[in-house]
Amino acid sequence: MSAEGTLTLLILDDESRILSALRRSLRREPYEILTAESVVEARRVLDAEAVDLVLSDHKMPGITGLQFLEEVAERHPEAVRMLITGWTETIDPKAVDALGIRAVITKPWEDAALKETLRRAAKEVG
Amino acid sequence: MRRSHREDDALGLRVVVVQPPDHGPRIAEGLEVLAGRATLEIVHDARRCLSRCDAGDVDLLVLDARRRAEVQSVLAATARSGGPPAIVIEPEAGDARALAWFRAGAVDCVSAEEAPKRLGTAVAEQLARDRARRTARGGDLGFAGNREVMEQLNSALVVVDLEGRIVYANPPAEQILGAEGSLHGADAGKRFRSGKSEEPLLLRTLRGGERFKGAEALVSRPDGSKAPVGISCAPITSPEGRRTGAVAIFQDLSEATQRRSHALQTEKLASIGQLAAGVAHEINNPMGFIHANLFQLAEYTEDLQRVWRQVEALRHAAEGADPTAVRIAAEALDKASQEADIEFVLGDLAKAIRESQEGSERIRHIVQDLRDFSHQDTGERVFADLNQCLDSTANIVWPMMKHVVSLEKDYAELPPIGCYPMQLKQVFMNLLVNAFQAIEEAVGESGELGTIALSTRIEDEQVVVSIRDSGVGIAQEHLERIFDPFFTTKRVGAGTGLGLSTSFGIVQGHGGTLSVESVPGQGTTFQLRLPLDAEAPAAS
Repeated sequence: MSAEGTLTLLILDDESRILSALRRSLRREPYEILTAESVVEARRVLDAEAVDLVLSDHKMPGITGLQFLEEVAERHPEAVRMLITGWTETIDPKAVDALGIRAVITKPWEDAALKETLRRAAKEVG
Repeated sequence: MRRSHREDDALGLRVVVVQPPDHGPRIAEGLEVLAGRATLEIVHDARRCLSRCDAGDVDLLVLDARRRAEVQSVLAATARSGGPPAIVIEPEAGDARALAWFRAGAVDCVSAEEAPKRLGTAVAEQLARDRARRTARGGDLGFAGNREVMEQLNSALVVVDLEGRIVYANPPAEQILGAEGSLHGADAGKRFRSGKSEEPLLLRTLRGGERFKGAEALVSRPDGSKAPVGISCAPITSPEGRRTGAVAIFQDLSEATQRRSHALQTEKLASIGQLAAGVAHEINNPMGFIHANLFQLAEYTEDLQRVWRQVEALRHAAEGADPTAVRIAAEALDKASQEADIEFVLGDLAKAIRESQEGSERIRHIVQDLRDFSHQDTGERVFADLNQCLDSTANIVWPMMKHVVSLEKDYAELPPIGCYPMQLKQVFMNLLVNAFQAIEEAVGESGELGTIALSTRIEDEQVVVSIRDSGVGIAQEHLERIFDPFFTTKRVGAGTGLGLSTSFGIVQGHGGTLSVESVPGQGTTFQLRLPLDAEAPAAS
């Protein structure tokens, strides 16, 4: 959590245009938004900042969102984890449950639904 | 490997079982019914099995196919040297597997699950068949005493004399050959026609003594219909070593052939599915941000309209002379601007539009690639640019592989080649998808990129298209089989094992060749060669 008490949200997607569009969608929401275009970058952010919410793309070079969130679950278990993907069919719901992933958002996303999902996830941040 | 048969009857028949020394299918249990009639030996590997066969007193092999490569090497070795017949115990269910084993030279295939129940019968049947064959080698074609045994066989069996006339056909043979009345004396040459060469296999056996195992042929019936058969032929020789005739055992493959064409269709659908998934993903990303951006642009427009209304109000106030009204209007404008975060909106507006335009440009490109790929293809033979065929196929499969592959292209200028472009694109797609999967397996989750290098050149009046990958490579024992139908090393469901055999057939149909070189751990290169003056035959 940042000093002002707003929640910090880290978004990881290898597609910069998606990051930029998500930022736009969430510009009036009360989060401090950090973005990363690669897993390496995302790890750096997680090590340097106190991140409350993590939203990760699924299909990325070299690693899947599920694998990355598994890593987050081990190293930063307090962060609420969410997945955003265009590939709902290839995601094993059992893996989603096992990793304690709170929400799977599909691309293209609906603005209102995205905000609502994040608000609900934010309530879980203790 | 020589087989010298002892004179003893059923007792003392020797069955060698090759099974890894762990808990496998219950082979011994399946063979219990043979107790007292046959001796059972269990060896653990191919080497020991083959040296055992060399001794010459083995009547039958039972091979546990969990170690595929080993079983294949045993079958290949016994086929070469006329060793004992082999029954394969297949761990996975499915006709495709069984069919593949028949083609590899097995005389029967029993699933591991059924082994305890069915193996005994299968072995008894093979031993009876083997005895029949042996006795048939005796004087006067010598089959008379074994008529009873041969009548009982499930497989079709015919015996022909030196003139190629049928002297015996068992009931299944009569059924397949469509006998009306007796087949006795019928010309075998008219009934058996090899699928590949003019001279029927059975006649080649008669003339040259050649043996065939698990070959394919066509039989013609009196009513004009034809049936594909899997056939094994062997010469019959008198004790003095004089050839007296030939025997053929065959099975109707019509059903198997239908299954194969069904599997081919499945293969095609699978690659289309994979392709569609790749394209869908590639379109979905730009679609995702364009969709979100348009939503925001609509909000920005409302924000701007609100601010603009305050600007209008301020201008009205400025036209009057009331300074208070002007101040109030100016304050309202400030407030509206702040609420709308107008600085940000003005800055981001152009950016959101630019990014969306870029996204729609990307989608336009993908559609263009799809159009190039299927460009006015009527499925007929035309003169086409192979570079374009290769390139448009690579563009189509690119989205699904770009996360793990870097693509290199080195195209020479090529003259138009007479070909069926859609068929060649299917070959390119098969090869590219295989290359991608080999790289995916090699790089795993390391995040590294593998390389696929595409090149075209002209060499010795041939167009050479080469597709090289830096993937896992192909093991030596698999290399010689990768063009076989149904042969696959991919996990169940990932491939039908028909991609490469189909590709091979297509290239052959174009009068060309498809070859492969591979170093495990380093990569694989497929090379497709087409004659420059390719005269493609009519589409099949």
